[in-house]
Amino acid sequence: MARTGQVTPTTATPPRGRQPAALRAPFTRRARLELLFCLAAIPLGFCLLLVPYWVAGPALAVALLAPAYDSTWVAAAAAIPAILLLVVLATRIARRLGVVHRRLAARLLGERVPPPPPLRPGRGVAGRLAAGLGDGPGWRAVAYQLLKLPLAVVEAYAAFLWVAGLANLSYPFWWGLFRNHPPGVTLDPVPAALPFPGRLFPVATFAGTFAAFAAGAAMVLAAPWVTGAVVSADRRLLRRLLGPGRLAQRVRDLEQTRALAVDDAAARLRQVERDLHDGAQIRLATMAMQLGMAREKLDDEGDPEVRQARELVDEAHRAAKDALAELRDLVRGIHPPVLDNGLADALATLAAGGGIPVQLTCDLPRRPTPAIETIAYFCAAELLANAAKHSHATRVTVQVAERDGELVLAVGDDGAGGADPAAGSGLAGLAQRVRTVDGRLEVASPPGGPTTVTAVLPLRA
Amino acid sequence: MTAVADAPLRVVIAEDAALFREGLVRLLSERGHRVCAAVADGQALLDAVAAHRPDVAVVDVRMPPTRTDEGLRAALELRRDHPGTGVLVLSQYVETRYAARLLEGNAAGVGYLLKDRVADVAEFADALARVAAGGTALDPEVVGQLLGASRNTDDLAALTPREREVLALMGEGRSNAGIAATLVVTTGVVEKHVASIFGKLRLPPAEGDNRRVLAVLRYLRS
Repeated sequence: MARTGQVTPTTATPPRGRQPAALRAPFTRRARLELLFCLAAIPLGFCLLLVPYWVAGPALAVALLAPAYDSTWVAAAAAIPAILLLVVLATRIARRLGVVHRRLAARLLGERVPPPPPLRPGRGVAGRLAAGLGDGPGWRAVAYQLLKLPLAVVEAYAAFLWVAGLANLSYPFWWGLFRNHPPGVTLDPVPAALPFPGRLFPVATFAGTFAAFAAGAAMVLAAPWVTGAVVSADRRLLRRLLGPGRLAQRVRDLEQTRALAVDDAAARLRQVERDLHDGAQIRLATMAMQLGMAREKLDDEGDPEVRQARELVDEAHRAAKDALAELRDLVRGIHPPVLDNGLADALATLAAGGGIPVQLTCDLPRRPTPAIETIAYFCAAELLANAAKHSHATRVTVQVAERDGELVLAVGDDGAGGADPAAGSGLAGLAQRVRTVDGRLEVASPPGGPTTVTAVLPLRA
Repeated sequence: MTAVADAPLRVVIAEDAALFREGLVRLLSERGHRVCAAVADGQALLDAVAAHRPDVAVVDVRMPPTRTDEGLRAALELRRDHPGTGVLVLSQYVETRYAARLLEGNAAGVGYLLKDRVADVAEFADALARVAAGGTALDPEVVGQLLGASRNTDDLAALTPREREVLALMGEGRSNAGIAATLVVTTGVVEKHVASIFGKLRLPPAEGDNRRVLAVLRYLRS
């Protein structure tokens, strides 16, 4: 069994039936689908042959319309714009055909090739030409079309093996129906196909039909292997040439995994907050309450031991309350729970908590993902803290809005200005944090102020 | 003060953490109040209040199923449908927007405290009694936030630090006597401060704690 795993899955798993895989191969669903793919490949593959006509057509037309000139030169001159047109159109047409190929492969072979990044069309003739020339995925699609041509020949041969083989197999069954002539009558022999296209052999007698049958059986048994091999080669080409390309695919994968990582981190922090809220915080609050109740019961008049006990309970009571406050501050730094209710509510508390009056406007028609909300929140927190610490501002504005499908957070103050992201302030760290989701931070802070720091974030990581 | 705190109240508690809920029930029972129902989510709270018509409901903000502001929404509904029932909202965090929503239109019979405050049992009981009686009990953090969120900062700047302290305590819902006790001064001194604050904030003098709080809050939110 000299088959590779890609041709057939039966090598991976031991055959279940009695018959060897070679006999079963022609009857599998896989063989049928691959045959269909080969049949579909014939028109698709050969449509490339039409291309020379596109080039030659206009040139010929010009040559015929201008008989006064040397037609060769005119045709050559006319061919130049035709070729330019072809350059512009080739990648686009190949991309369109690529869509058809990918769909066929997905439908019939289960081979799901992700589409390449879309073409960025240029402006004007030169722009279009440049876009066409620089369209890597487009040229790879052209390469696929070119390589598909010989491949389609083999695929057509594979289809021929199937069709002709099945036809040959039928000879002994209908021979008796049509050839029951009286003895002495000589009829022309019926041609039967050989595995070599175009070569026929004559079948004149009933015994001869068995030769046709044998040839047919050989062809049908061989057909799945030929089909499998050529389809497997086609698959490889498809993946390589009609997919997004290794770099683009890698970028896409990284973007996806990064978004997952960012979302996952946000979700984890949120879970930590919830666990603390339902666990440690509740226990501490209950403990503080019970200590408060115990404290009330311990009357310190008289008995010195009771007084001592009350002092201890007092201390424990204070400590529990302090721990509760510390835990609350800590959790606010991890994931303020009010963020679950949206940025507007969370920023309102943040704005009210600082020392400087803050004017807050928050207008988000769509809610960003939790990870983005978290980043925006901590950006605002850091910027507000910066304004309070360094700027000597008397007034701060925080504006959150959606612009062109992005979240724009602008924090402005009327302070001293001169904030420099390069000077090791928190701004550099902030810029990094924003960049983890492809956001950007813009700082406008001339000496003397005013300062405006704008963070632009996507609505989803 | 103790007389107010110990007047028996009929209370409904809504808190999803069983530990804290039991603690609250015990605390209130020991102080002579009657806990009509102790439930664990917003809908149950609404049903319990409709059934028992308590003097006051103690409501946790985060409850199932959403665990975000479930309790707050139930509290707002209570304030609309049962104006006679005081609502004391408890939370691990106090949020400016939540406070603003709770106080919208009317600050009578409403409280918003951090859960920590329950630990100071006497003060908590005091706040509960105040809310049940139609007064106000706001967490110092809430008042601080509301003061911070206020836009009338120029007027606020005219206040002396002591007057700001008094204003904050007024915002929490305390009486002049309560403020005097907290700041360790005589009631007369507090009255002088209050008059001065009203003057500087151009608020007409008014009688009674509640109207005072209302006036302050209206000013804070303006």
